[in-house]
Amino acid sequence: MKYSWLSFKAIFVKDIVTELRAKQVLPTMIVLGMLIVWILRIACEAAPASTAIIGPAALWIAFLFSGILAQERSFAAEQHQDCIYGLLLAPVDVGTIFLAKLLVSVVILCIFEIIIVPVVLLFFRLNPSNRLFDLILVLLLGNIGISAIGTLFSAVVHFSGSLLSIVVLVVLLPMMIPATFALLFLFGAIPEHLAGSGALAFVGSFKTAVGYMVAFDAVFTVACWLLFGFAVKE
Amino acid sequence: MRRILLCLAFVLFLLSMWMALTVGRIEGPPANPDSVVRNILYTHVPGSICALLCFFVLLVASVAYLCTKNPKWDILAAAAGEVGAVFATILNVTGMIFSRAEWGLWWTPSPRLITSAILWFLYIVYLILRTAGLPGSQHRKAQVCAIFGIIAFLDVPLVYISARLIPDIHRPNFSFGSNEQRAALVLGMVATLLWAAVLIWLRTEILRNKARLEKE
Repeated sequence: MKYSWLSFKAIFVKDIVTELRAKQVLPTMIVLGMLIVWILRIACEAAPASTAIIGPAALWIAFLFSGILAQERSFAAEQHQDCIYGLLLAPVDVGTIFLAKLLVSVVILCIFEIIIVPVVLLFFRLNPSNRLFDLILVLLLGNIGISAIGTLFSAVVHFSGSLLSIVVLVVLLPMMIPATFALLFLFGAIPEHLAGSGALAFVGSFKTAVGYMVAFDAVFTVACWLLFGFAVKE
Repeated sequence: MRRILLCLAFVLFLLSMWMALTVGRIEGPPANPDSVVRNILYTHVPGSICALLCFFVLLVASVAYLCTKNPKWDILAAAAGEVGAVFATILNVTGMIFSRAEWGLWWTPSPRLITSAILWFLYIVYLILRTAGLPGSQHRKAQVCAIFGIIAFLDVPLVYISARLIPDIHRPNFSFGSNEQRAALVLGMVATLLWAAVLIWLRTEILRNKARLEKE
């Protein structure tokens, strides 16, 4: 157990330190995210009343596309001079490698969120007021979902960027629906009388939306952890 | 054998269609009771069941491939994916036609329609992965597709079945009430299941021969 923990810590620290020193992916993610948010904000000028509706969608779009950039990089460094084989030859459980890589991805996405979320709140004049904890919870749940799927598929060697994008996006599509509605509820963008009808029958309240996200995260994280061994070994 | 099954499926399908349009005919929407548009459900319901069953076959074949590394399972998964994509397309297209006639909308974001669209997208991405020309050995490509097949299947019970438990405004306000209607539906379902089984069988054989030729 202690050995697993030490291996986990070593892989996590190695990846985080490499990223923070080289700054390979974070600046690109932030610029891409800001550009997406900025373009959608300009589009909102046509209907200023819709900022509370477009804002959460803009946040998830920026988060998804920038998040995929982080995922692409997750195993790219390991491909260099076949470092991945060194990692796999080490007496470390593949599940531990997956969890360490997953945490690295979650941390990088959290740093991205710390920068992009205030920009979205400012641009779209959104105010989470006294529901800051709920906002952090929803973002973290979305973060874990994208990291789990992204880490598994980026481990599949030589995955091209565009292919990784569609694979991650299509698998995450069902989770993005409650994720978007959770933020819409949070920012009060959905009128009370509409809750429970149409697409909202899915996610009639903030709690239901968060429940769906927790279920998705749990199922996908466990499944990805179990399948990771097959993804990295020939 | 395959020809016999195909002919049998065709006969059953024709019989189901005949029953659907005569003795088992569903009355049109209140605005136009003479319309036969609601009878598209005799194709829509079997199509949706086949799309889900193909996904289940895809899951079983993917798990079996990862466990045994036997290429025959990969070929079966590929065939099930292709046939499933066809039925998922039928499901969505017939659903849209029905929706337009029933509620005047081609598409609206209701749980049922969202989940059907997601099912279609999952199949299409699976086919893109299959044809994307992934680098690496044949085993590696098969492994990638099997992993995606398993992960994609997890979406199905999570969204597809749960959507059916949620009250949805887009639920038809009629059911297959009479014995004739039920018989027509069952016949249609048997015919469609036979189509699906024979198509998977056919595609499996074609893909197996293709793999053999490539090896030689």
